[in-house]
Amino acid sequence: MIEVLTETGTQEPQRIRGLEMPWNRVMGSNEGAARAAHALGPWHPQEFMAECVETVPEAGGMMTFVFRRCDGAPLAFRAGQYVNVAFPVNGEEPEPVDRSYSLSSSPTEPWTFNITVKCDPTGLVSPWVHANVKPGTVLEMLGPVGAFHLPDADRRARYLLLAAGAGITPIMSMVRTIHSLPGQADVVVLYHGAAAGGFAFHKELAYTASVDSRVKVFYSLGDRSIPDGWEGLSGRLTAAMLEEVAPDANGRQVYACGPEGYLNTATELLKKVGVDDTSIYMEFFSGDRQTLLEYQAEVALAADFAEGIAEEIAESAEDYYESQPTAFGLYEPVYDADGTLEASGLPLEIVAPEAPGSDASAESAGGEPEAASPDASSFDTVGTGSLTMSFMRTGINVRIEPSERILEVAHRAGVRIGANCKEGMCGSCKVVKLSGEIEMNHQGGIRAREISAGKFLPCCSTARTDMVIDA
Amino acid sequence: MTASVNVPLNSRGKLAATLPAEQLAEITALFEFRRTGHSLDAPFYTDSTIFKIDMEAIFGQHWIFAASTAELPEPGDYVTVDYGPYSLIVLRNDDGGVNILHNVCRHRGARVLTDAAGTTGNLVCGYHSWTYSPEGNLIHASAPGETKFDKGCFGLKRAHGREVAGLIFACIADEPPADFDETAKIFEPYLAPHDLSKTKIAYQQNIIEEGNWKLVMENNRECYHCDGHPELACSLFPTWGLTEGLIPAHLQEVWDRNKEAQSTLEDRCRRYGLPYEVVEQLDTRIAGIRISRESLDGDGESFSPDGHRLSKKLLGDLRDFRLGRCSMHLQPNSWFHFLGDHVVTFGVFPINEHQTLVRTTWLVADDAVEGIDYDPEKLTYTWKQTNLQDKAFVELCQQGAGSPAYEPGPYMKSEYQVEAFINWYVQRVQEHLA
Repeated sequence: MIEVLTETGTQEPQRIRGLEMPWNRVMGSNEGAARAAHALGPWHPQEFMAECVETVPEAGGMMTFVFRRCDGAPLAFRAGQYVNVAFPVNGEEPEPVDRSYSLSSSPTEPWTFNITVKCDPTGLVSPWVHANVKPGTVLEMLGPVGAFHLPDADRRARYLLLAAGAGITPIMSMVRTIHSLPGQADVVVLYHGAAAGGFAFHKELAYTASVDSRVKVFYSLGDRSIPDGWEGLSGRLTAAMLEEVAPDANGRQVYACGPEGYLNTATELLKKVGVDDTSIYMEFFSGDRQTLLEYQAEVALAADFAEGIAEEIAESAEDYYESQPTAFGLYEPVYDADGTLEASGLPLEIVAPEAPGSDASAESAGGEPEAASPDASSFDTVGTGSLTMSFMRTGINVRIEPSERILEVAHRAGVRIGANCKEGMCGSCKVVKLSGEIEMNHQGGIRAREISAGKFLPCCSTARTDMVIDA
Repeated sequence: MTASVNVPLNSRGKLAATLPAEQLAEITALFEFRRTGHSLDAPFYTDSTIFKIDMEAIFGQHWIFAASTAELPEPGDYVTVDYGPYSLIVLRNDDGGVNILHNVCRHRGARVLTDAAGTTGNLVCGYHSWTYSPEGNLIHASAPGETKFDKGCFGLKRAHGREVAGLIFACIADEPPADFDETAKIFEPYLAPHDLSKTKIAYQQNIIEEGNWKLVMENNRECYHCDGHPELACSLFPTWGLTEGLIPAHLQEVWDRNKEAQSTLEDRCRRYGLPYEVVEQLDTRIAGIRISRESLDGDGESFSPDGHRLSKKLLGDLRDFRLGRCSMHLQPNSWFHFLGDHVVTFGVFPINEHQTLVRTTWLVADDAVEGIDYDPEKLTYTWKQTNLQDKAFVELCQQGAGSPAYEPGPYMKSEYQVEAFINWYVQRVQEHLA
């Protein structure tokens, strides 16, 4: 066999529209294997132990530490989030020192996860991490935490990712995630670094850009001296540079991570090139007091939450997992003034269930519609037949055979249901079924949407089970 | 020259054929001796017979804008569109197409659907429950004892429907004008990138203007009066319709800004492959059109005080919010603004010779969330104010047309599109009467 390395065909891949995180559908489904896979969704933060399984030196004085959870579970998170790690810097006693590090790996490979740490020789923790964390090291962690991350679904995934120095770590997670997913996207990365050889992940970024037409990567050396052979950009972030790498910046979502000064400049410039401030997401990577306090507050909240979950799971693991969000209204962790995590988010366009009408919600919300209504067992019962239809408004139970048309029997019993064609065409007898199963042979008098909202046409329906009817 | 009263009544049931010869001659003369470049004689705005001719010759013959797909996204969704004596049902059918049906029960003529919009399975007349399929076939009429009743003879009357780039048009003529396809080919590439099929209604406004429908259209075709639109003038350059040499001194600065913004916009359009050139065939074809993409002031994104976007979700696959406004004018009854963040459609539906319904619909991306991505109040503010101001202008003119002292006045250079509209109108009616 001779392998032919000549490039053939330069057509663009065909892709589905937009980007969607893989857990999106899993969390919308409650059946079979999908239910077991719920653990792959980005749950609320948890406390867990993780074992280092690999260390990878990176350019720019950084080191990637690959972990896996000791309990074997995958780590569910969103690209851009971070974990809080307890480092026993001074041995087990006194207390370990907590630090937050962005996850640099992709959540689409959830069985291991990476943090990438830049060694700051003057710091307390990072030199210790570089020197001591190695395969076999077990650390206590809390996460995922942070609101700086890609959305769960985005039908116009157009991003401008701005990174300076170690700010590349959450951005790297985003690039890896997008690269691993199918779907249309348009990603521009602008990465500022201090030295030509100091751009972490540059080989992988170059490879990704070379095989994934959705990703473009630009480097800039800032105002440092430019070595011979440098092919990237030079100079600090400017409006002109933004225009150059992304002339359509104002239509993109911008994720920026780096030192405070860099991000302050970016905020100003982005505004100048027309990026709406609600389209800008930033992660401060500086050690200024305000930022540290914010991290501490967020981590403390997460810890409280993780504790609550642990208790809930301890009480009844099965109930807990069943109670997890199942609709596509996926949660975004929102830390409000009261310190609680709130569920919010947008329904997906494709699989969003029909917005329930008031009728349908009465049925789905409680599961036991009779509970709120008058008790049908107190109603008079008329007629003969093997099944019982309870008409809640009329206050009567009517016995019916499975072969009889519901409307006829109802009319005989004096239940008021308007009707005209009696052949399932005009829809004038439409009523709401609160429970029970029917067989309906309509002729266009009712729409699928109405049926799924619990309505049916009694003129052309027979009962299969006992029924409760809102009439 | 004049149409004969001897034409048999069955010749397409033309109103002209039923008019007394003297009256017809008078009306025909009004069209014939219309003074080019001047507003119309008063009867065009006040006379009920001319209104009837308008309904027959214009609204009865041409493609009229009825609704956008966002107004009937799912099978069974419908809107009713009324103009003059007509009422049409515009219904999304199960195949995804659009059925246009006359909203007149074949039993005793009752309106079948009485709501302005809704969802239905089959169509049931509220009077005697005659039931029609979405295609208009009569499928149920209780007929005790009837032996000779053939349901097949009593379907709802159908009209022509056409959907282009998310806009739905209706034509009740037996044979619609054939050049609509050519017009559709002109505007489709301008509109398609905004992907109306992925939009939803953020707000719809119906206002009744106490004025003849032609005054409503005339008013929309010029910006000579734009000093009267302070809110709109924040984003829409009030120099619209002017050319170099016609710029009054107080607008010179605005004109310069406009030119620069237009050149920047055209660069962007070329980058994204969006057409922007002016196509103006308002009275040189039957399905008259004007379309272009033009810059907006300020941020150049939307109809807001600073030109900044009013919805945070881009439409379709657009990559950029700074796309100005793609504006389209279609004869006889609509105009549109397509922006990066939203679309505004305007439909003009005559009620009688002195009243007109103007329906304005604001569309945003269907995944834009009210209160988060857009604020309906802010989204609609500029055009709500502008509509009210326009309503007042139209009504002033209607009052004027009713005065014995009124005589047609000259359209100014910046009003050439008003002249084009009137010229189109006069030509079409004359063709019909001929």
